[in-house]
Amino acid sequence: MDIRSSFAAQGYAATKPALTPKGDAGGALQDAAKSFAATLQESEATAKAAMSGGADPHALVEALAQTELAVETAVTVRNKVVEAYQEILRMPV
Amino acid sequence: MSDFSNSLQTAVSGMRAQSTRLRHVSENIANTDTPGYRRKIMNFEQVSKDGAKTGEVRSAGISLDRTELSRIFDPAHPMSNEDGNYDGSNVDLVVEIADAREAQRSYEANLKMFEQTRNMSSKLLELLRK
Repeated sequence: MDIRSSFAAQGYAATKPALTPKGDAGGALQDAAKSFAATLQESEATAKAAMSGGADPHALVEALAQTELAVETAVTVRNKVVEAYQEILRMPV
Repeated sequence: MSDFSNSLQTAVSGMRAQSTRLRHVSENIANTDTPGYRRKIMNFEQVSKDGAKTGEVRSAGISLDRTELSRIFDPAHPMSNEDGNYDGSNVDLVVEIADAREAQRSYEANLKMFEQTRNMSSKLLELLRK
C-alpha cells in the first residue's frame, strides 16, 4: 500500500472543513436583499406621493439619495463578486 | 441603518425645519398690515424615538411675540378708538428679513452636509471599483 496516498487523503480530509461555509451567510445575504428591496419600494412610494402632491420635496430627495446609496452599494458588491468568479474560472487547472 | 443614511436623514430634517421657519417668516411678512397680528416665532426641538434622541430636529410649534402692538394713527379706520389710533401688528420687517436670511444660511449648511455625505459614501464605494 502506498503510504503517501493515505497521507494525501488525510490532508484532504483535514482541509475540507475549511471549504464549507461557516455561519449563516445565506441568511445575512437574504436580509440585505430584503432591506434593499424595501428601500427601493419606499422611494417609489415617496416619488409617487410627491408627484401627486402628497409628500414634500425633502422626503423625495432623501428617499432618492437613500436609494442611490443602496443601488450603488449593491452594484459595486455584485461587480466584485462577478469579478472574483471570473478570476476563479480563468484559473489554470 | 448606516451612519451615512442616518446623516442624510438628519440633514433632511434640518432642511425641513428651516423651510417651516421660512414659511412662518413669510406669514409674518404677509400679515405686516393686519391689525392685532402678533408675529410668530418658531421653536425647534430634538426628535426622540423610543425615548432616545435621534439627533434629528423638528418644529415644536410656534409661540407669539409678546412685544407691544404698534399704534397706528388713522381716524378713518373702522377699528380706531376715540383718539384715532388702532392696534397694528408687531412685525418688524428688518427682523423678518434677518430671520429669513438666517433660515437660508442654515438650510444651505444642511444642504452642504447632505452633499458631503453623498460624496463620502460614493468615495468609499469607489475603493471597491479599483
